[in-house]
Amino acid sequence: MMLKLKFAIIALLIVSTQDVMAQLKTIKGVVTDPSGVPLPGASINVQGSKNSASTDFDGNYALQGVNATDKITFSYVGLTSQTITVGDQTVINIKLAESTQTLNEVVVAYGTQKRTKVTGAVSVVNAKDIVAVPITNAESALQGRAAGVTVVNGAPGSSPTVKIRGLATMNNSDPLYVVDGVLVGNLSGLNPNDIESMSVLKDASTTALYGSKAFNGVIMVTTKKGKKGPGQLTFSSYVGAQTVTKRYNVLNTQQYLQYANDLGSNLTARAAEFGNTNTDWQDEIFQTGLMQDYNLSFSNGSENSSSRYSAGYLKQEGTLIGTGFERYSFRANNTQNIGKLSVGSNIGVSFSTTNPERSAGGRTLLEHAIKMAPYLPVYNASNLGGYQGPSAADGQDAENPVRVAKHGYQKVNGVSIIGNIFAELEIYKGLKFRSQVSLDYYTTRDHTFVPSFRDGSAHFQDYSSTAEINSQGQTIVFDNGLTYKTTIADKHNIEVLGVITKIENKSRNVTAGSRNLISDEIDQLSLQNANLSSNNFETNNLGYIARINYDYDDKYLFAISGRRDGSSRFGANKRYGNFYSVALGWNIAKETFMDNSIFSTLKLRASTGTTGNDKIEDYRYSSSLATNYTYPFNGQAGIGTTSGSAANPDLQWESKLDRNIGLDFGLFDDKFTGSIEYFNNKSSDILFAVPLAASTGSPGGTQIRNIADVKVTGYEVTLGYNDRKGDFTWSATANLGTSKNEVTNLAPGVTSVLGGPSGRAGLEQFSRLEVGQPLFYFWGYQTDGIYQNQAEVDAVLAPGQTTFQPGDIRFVDRNGDKVINSEDKTNIGNPYPDFTYGLNLTAAYKKFDFNCFISGVSGNDVFNSNKFDLEAMQRLFNSGTQVLDRAVVVNGSVTNPSATLPRALGASQNWSSASQRYVEDGSYTRLKNVTIGYTFSGDAFAKYFSNIRFYVSGQNLITITNYSGLDPEIARVDANSNSAGIDIGRYPQPKSVIFGLEVTF
Amino acid sequence: MKKIKYIVVVLSGILAINSCDTKDLELTNPNALSPETFFKTKNQVQSAVNACYANLQTRGLYARHIFFALDLMAQEAKGNPQLEGNKVPFTNFTFDASSDIIQYYWETCFLGISKSNFVLDNEAKIQALPNSILTQEQKNKFLGEAHFLRAYYYFLLVPRFGDLPIYTTQTTEGLARSSKEDVYKLIEADFDFASKNLLSKTVEDKGRATKEAAFAYLGKVLLYQKKYDEALTAFNKVTGFSLESNFYNNFMDETEHGPESIFEIEYDETLGVGDKWGSDTAGDGVAESTLRGQEYGNLGWFNVYPSDDLLDEYETGDKRFGETFYVPGSKYNKGNSTMTAANFTSSAGIRRAGWKKYQNYYKRTDENLDSSINFKVMRYSDVLLMKAECESLRAGGVQSTAIGYINEVRFRADVPLLATTLTKDQVFTALVHERKVELAGEQVRFDDIIRWGIASTELAGTGFQTGKSELWPIPNRETSSNPNIKPSDNNPGY
Repeated sequence: MMLKLKFAIIALLIVSTQDVMAQLKTIKGVVTDPSGVPLPGASINVQGSKNSASTDFDGNYALQGVNATDKITFSYVGLTSQTITVGDQTVINIKLAESTQTLNEVVVAYGTQKRTKVTGAVSVVNAKDIVAVPITNAESALQGRAAGVTVVNGAPGSSPTVKIRGLATMNNSDPLYVVDGVLVGNLSGLNPNDIESMSVLKDASTTALYGSKAFNGVIMVTTKKGKKGPGQLTFSSYVGAQTVTKRYNVLNTQQYLQYANDLGSNLTARAAEFGNTNTDWQDEIFQTGLMQDYNLSFSNGSENSSSRYSAGYLKQEGTLIGTGFERYSFRANNTQNIGKLSVGSNIGVSFSTTNPERSAGGRTLLEHAIKMAPYLPVYNASNLGGYQGPSAADGQDAENPVRVAKHGYQKVNGVSIIGNIFAELEIYKGLKFRSQVSLDYYTTRDHTFVPSFRDGSAHFQDYSSTAEINSQGQTIVFDNGLTYKTTIADKHNIEVLGVITKIENKSRNVTAGSRNLISDEIDQLSLQNANLSSNNFETNNLGYIARINYDYDDKYLFAISGRRDGSSRFGANKRYGNFYSVALGWNIAKETFMDNSIFSTLKLRASTGTTGNDKIEDYRYSSSLATNYTYPFNGQAGIGTTSGSAANPDLQWESKLDRNIGLDFGLFDDKFTGSIEYFNNKSSDILFAVPLAASTGSPGGTQIRNIADVKVTGYEVTLGYNDRKGDFTWSATANLGTSKNEVTNLAPGVTSVLGGPSGRAGLEQFSRLEVGQPLFYFWGYQTDGIYQNQAEVDAVLAPGQTTFQPGDIRFVDRNGDKVINSEDKTNIGNPYPDFTYGLNLTAAYKKFDFNCFISGVSGNDVFNSNKFDLEAMQRLFNSGTQVLDRAVVVNGSVTNPSATLPRALGASQNWSSASQRYVEDGSYTRLKNVTIGYTFSGDAFAKYFSNIRFYVSGQNLITITNYSGLDPEIARVDANSNSAGIDIGRYPQPKSVIFGLEVTF
Repeated sequence: MKKIKYIVVVLSGILAINSCDTKDLELTNPNALSPETFFKTKNQVQSAVNACYANLQTRGLYARHIFFALDLMAQEAKGNPQLEGNKVPFTNFTFDASSDIIQYYWETCFLGISKSNFVLDNEAKIQALPNSILTQEQKNKFLGEAHFLRAYYYFLLVPRFGDLPIYTTQTTEGLARSSKEDVYKLIEADFDFASKNLLSKTVEDKGRATKEAAFAYLGKVLLYQKKYDEALTAFNKVTGFSLESNFYNNFMDETEHGPESIFEIEYDETLGVGDKWGSDTAGDGVAESTLRGQEYGNLGWFNVYPSDDLLDEYETGDKRFGETFYVPGSKYNKGNSTMTAANFTSSAGIRRAGWKKYQNYYKRTDENLDSSINFKVMRYSDVLLMKAECESLRAGGVQSTAIGYINEVRFRADVPLLATTLTKDQVFTALVHERKVELAGEQVRFDDIIRWGIASTELAGTGFQTGKSELWPIPNRETSSNPNIKPSDNNPGY
């Protein structure tokens, strides 16, 4: 009986199922996010049909006319889409999962692309990761999270140095930043809390559309947009403290007096005048910097519009006295849909005040702090200005760094507007026209005021001085383009893009300065001893862009793109350049033979293409005159005019050929993911300001020429794992990048080029360019200990010379001609790491969350110019305690053979020549961040807010390195590669501890 | 149909927005003049000439480094402990091709040469100007200034470096070194041209090269080559000058361009000093002061002090001693202040004296970074002593005539006149002494003792190496950027 009943039911079911298949029905349900919160505006689509619906404010939907065999896709921006076969269900409630390692949609040049269809090398960092660690600038979010990207921070308010895939040029190596389609110079005006995602485009197939601007890679920043649904208010804040704990060991007063005495200066009486004070000048210039950050945002959206408004405030005191940064930022992003027309704007405004690190006499605060006599007090009320500095009786002239930093002020007030207005019209099914005007506008007012002072006979100013630099610049980009997207026969997906873009860049600056001999009260410009100048710059670019993406059933991917670019920076014959790319991809995991494999993702991709670089100074192709010479005749200023920097009418584009192969994989339902990339890039005709023979007397001393070819190769590996056990979820992401560059060719007539800063006056240049070597490797003398006696000197050098004596450094006479000169120099260091790496661990247990992030570099050399201050012993200055271990020469022999340093006041080559003495291993591993957070949510608080998270976070707490400087993570002197790996004692990375909270109302 | 219309409208819109764009790519530099349209007015020609002077003022030369380098090598000045490390090697001849001071000296001189060549390269344009814009006399005078300055810079270089690349036109290609003799030929020809075309001091602007200056330098160049008769002919054309009755008038701000002054390096703080810390070599911007006062001043940085050897050279009663040096008891600040022994304190002990020549203490209590006192790089007493040398050393020279020139100089100094009966050798000895005390701290002694061949004895024990230290090395900056001058082409011993 029972059995029969069962049969009957089954039979009935089969019949009724068949019945249903023929019959259309309505299904309904609720779509929620991973935490169960209803999602308004989620879309529900029937595959292969136009039938669709979206959820209301409460996440409810109803979809009519559904067949039981239909497959329905539920999707929501930022979450993983889910597809369900309807079957006999009528109520389908869906909880969409957080997208894990990979975003479904990746922002690429002029659009977005599905992750599975990407054929180039792209790293993405999402909002969640950006704000996981408290950061003050957006660039920092990329550090250690995107393989092959290095980021080094400087003083508060300064833009970090960002490099993608190593160096391929000798010019500016900054990537191009694109914020919501707006080309911007840097991200300093952008509040990291406003960022939805950052895509790093690393190969030509992703960057070629930016043509001449894409040489160093592109960082695409997308700001947060309004989300559909009822208004959501969020507030977040953190407060914390930053500190630099490491110090150089320098001589104390007692040691210093003895050292000075050995160098011929008896300062005992002088020190007694100041009561034998023992000032720790490094402690005087470092401070604990407090930082605070507040963000408020409001987002809402309806069927046809969305908007998000936000405001942020950041105040950061630097760890060096007198430095700091303050920023107010505002942003409004809006989109309106009117039928087939969509219009919108994304506009951010920020106001900032930077107090930069001040310097005097071309020396950094740190250099002064090392060199200052320790017996001098910081303050002396009887001196004009109230500070104490050296006089002739002190036998040296290091400048009081506290006075340099704190007497008067330097303030840089900036206003930045980054925004766009766009309209998009669907002209025909799949054919869209988009027009966008973008603006990057800034003004800065750099105001310095120094009242009169007299620290001693060495440093004084009898007047107050005021200097001001006002700059204003704007980049306006007009983009007009058509896209056409269609699918033919269900399998052939085609997308075509065509854009014309015009970039107009203008900037202007006015520089003025004056003195006031009468008063310290007025910090404004006047006509007393005034100087004034102004400059205008303009560059224009014109680009014609086209791209075709094709794929067959998501399996076989093909992309081709090109850009014809014109730039006003080049002469008439070389004004246009063409750039292109081709890419192929194969989604192996989608093949039927992979159906039962462990691979959830397996994609092979390859690309090649070209980009260009136009980051050279304006107007360098045309010759001009310089009129800024002055000489007195008859007591009047005679104005002098002469030829300007050597022009080069044959300047042409730098170009780069990229080749990239990548393999993306995901195992066990993407629990384990990874990608491996190999790139082999070749830059040609690299522009460089070639030093002309000094004797030609060419003003500026250089001529821009296309001189070098450089090959850059490397691997990038990214691995991710995420797992869940009950309430415990965790993930680990590791990345590793290598990048090796080599100069492969130099223009005829150029055998080598010496360039870059040496970091210290009196220390010679050492960054060199030569075929077969890395870009700007360190070129100098090898050292072989210290001459112990005259016999040792004579064994190496021609007899009779008096320059080198016992106690001096034994430089290696490589060519054996018994003379030490530049022919004995060789490669003494490579500033580029063998590899860079990052490891990111996250875990969550119930309401606790944890994040830990380690990054490092390995195998690079650093030229430590600070050693010049610490141990040069060229003349009397305070020095590192290592000078106590210097060679002592008595009767022509060194009496302490174990000495590590040469004699004091020895041969000038000991300190002035670039040698191995200054080169150190710069490898380090650093615990960049540890964060622990706890989230309160649930009914008890529902009345006030939906959730609130508290966290505590520490940065740079542990660093493992053999580097002797304050910080192995050195900020570059400038954007040019000829300053790579040179530590001139800039702002060290501080340790910080931060408490924060995030509230969603 | 309607849709096609849309498309047509949109596409033509794009074309309209982006048309005539190509023209926007042709930009000219709004901040600078173009060479094609220059040399059209008197002011433009004069401006191109003015620029040639600017390199004399740089820190590479008279704003800072030249007086250190030459006074220290001559051992007229000694370093206190605060003397900067890049200057110390000039005290003991341990400098090498990496020295920044040598590099700056080299660079700024060649920048000046290049600017002179810019004028001379455009001679045709200048000559083509109608008389209404520029008379022939003015054209020749401006070209004469360019020739004078090219020769002046080469004459700063050749005693320091020996063989030099010769540039007579602007170029970006580095040339190989030519022989010292050929360089002297160019210098002689340039000074000769200048002497024939420049205006006289009586009519020319203060600060510009004059006919008399050209003759004085032509004479000096000939003397350096031991062409005594020709040199004497040139010196004899330096007329209209007399010695200042007060020796110290040569070294004050208020008495510049006096009767003894033949050529000066100009400084005038009131014209502006805003670009003082700009390039060491370029000479650009407004930087109309020198650091000499602060660097040498015993109440200032006191980086150097007069050597015992120099102080001891003065005869008792030589008035120049008190005008060249401060010692304890010296009056300063318009006579209102008195130096004490403590004013000569260095961390290495109390010094006997400090420099007074070219210091501002005569009218002030202290120095600062900006001194306006011109350097009188060619003054009549120097010419008199060079004439004496030519007369004494030329074939058939009349010693008593030579002694007469020396006595003119000694008379002012209130020291006993030399007997007119001295022999040639005695005259030479007297000249060595007289030039040392008269021109102390004026950067002539090192060249003197080199050309006289007495450096090895005068500089014994200082580190001076005969056969090497007479010349500086060609700086690395040159050998690394000029394919035609290699490190192995450097001067002996470097």
